[in-house]
Amino acid sequence: MDCQEFRELISDAVDERLGPGYRRTFADHAGSCRNCRNEFELERITKQVIRTRVRPATAPAEVYESLRSTIRRSPSNSQGWLGIIFGGEFLNPAVALVALLVIVVGAISLLQKNNAIPLSTEKNIIAQSINNYTATMAGILKPELVSHDPDDIKDYLSKDTPFDVSVVTLDGCDWCGGVLSNVNGVRLVHVVYKIGGEGILYVYQVNLQEAMRGERVGLPEHAKSVLAKTGWYCEQTPEGCNVVLWRHKNTLCAAVSKIEKGKMIALLSDKKP
Amino acid sequence: MINPIKGLHKEFEKEAIPHTDILYNYALRMTGNADDAHDLLQETFLKAYRFWDKYEKGTNVRAWLFRIMKNTYINVYRKAVKEPDTVDYNDIQNFYNIIREDSTDANDLQEKLFGHLLDDDITKALESLPEEFRTVVILCDIEGLTYEEIAEFVECPVGTVRSRLHRGRKLLYSKLFEYAKKRGFVGKD
Repeated sequence: MDCQEFRELISDAVDERLGPGYRRTFADHAGSCRNCRNEFELERITKQVIRTRVRPATAPAEVYESLRSTIRRSPSNSQGWLGIIFGGEFLNPAVALVALLVIVVGAISLLQKNNAIPLSTEKNIIAQSINNYTATMAGILKPELVSHDPDDIKDYLSKDTPFDVSVVTLDGCDWCGGVLSNVNGVRLVHVVYKIGGEGILYVYQVNLQEAMRGERVGLPEHAKSVLAKTGWYCEQTPEGCNVVLWRHKNTLCAAVSKIEKGKMIALLSDKKP
Repeated sequence: MINPIKGLHKEFEKEAIPHTDILYNYALRMTGNADDAHDLLQETFLKAYRFWDKYEKGTNVRAWLFRIMKNTYINVYRKAVKEPDTVDYNDIQNFYNIIREDSTDANDLQEKLFGHLLDDDITKALESLPEEFRTVVILCDIEGLTYEEIAEFVECPVGTVRSRLHRGRKLLYSKLFEYAKKRGFVGKD
């Protein structure tokens, strides 16, 4: 064994990985070459010092707790969007299957109708909201973030959004999610709530002044007029969806859901700032 | 029917959480402080959970988590940290010569150099190693992983692990020697 071969084996020798054959020739060379022996000893000492003087750190208990808590509040790709929607604790498999079929049929129908545009580009806010609700139910429009904590979603959606984003704690809400988008150069916020036993509630949000100007996005005149007088506007689509519009600070919110109209207004009224 | 979300949480927690300590230790040695280590750990687990469907069941989950942490560190934290200066290997050779002349045997060297150094000095020396060397030294000398495991963790051949360890330990020794010289524990050349 020459010095070059010896040096290549130093780490193996230090970590006690040399086979019996190599061990002998390695020891023979170390006995006859002072430089190589010293180099081996230096590396052995270094390992020993690191091993004995640098203790492996143990994560504090609060780190474990914080990890568990973060994971429980976070979405996983494994869940899938539809998996999340049907993630009820004791959801009857037959109901889930029927519901899934309805959604698949709805999605196919939607794909045929509007060529699967993920977010509606209609100028009419009510039409946009209904289209987006349908796309949400079909799994085409997916939240970028889902959480059990509304504040997580609000923080995420509020970044660079030029109006007050409303994400509230609703009674019986399993989780909420959010998406940001721009339509005709206007920033839009989309919030989705999964209300246990009731279904999905979709809420479209846009700057109130932008909506009232009506240049890039806007409302039909009658809706604008009712909203200005009462602060609320409601209508029902032929498919049985309820649409509720209201003002929140400098934001126009438009909620769409198949939740019964009275329940939906009560839900939103309770939380109306 | 069991809630699939809760089932997923439980499965992930059962598989991943037991590896928290090794990941935290690595994060601490790479970032150099507990707050950043905690953040890096959180980010790693969030990504791992998010991409849990990409993890091949039955493979080495610890190596998978480690790779996520290493990539996150490279993408996020490394940019903010100044890499240590590279060391001229000729200096190390010269240093070996000085040591050999100063000392009679290896035990004498160990006592002379490290007997008086603070644990903090040793930790600092380790944390100042270039990342690729630091990683293998941490995994081998602190965590006690085999070369084969380290190769899987850092996705490189076993031969590369071997040579990085050798060079990493030599660098470390030279840094410790510098600390000892500065503190007057060994004679200045």
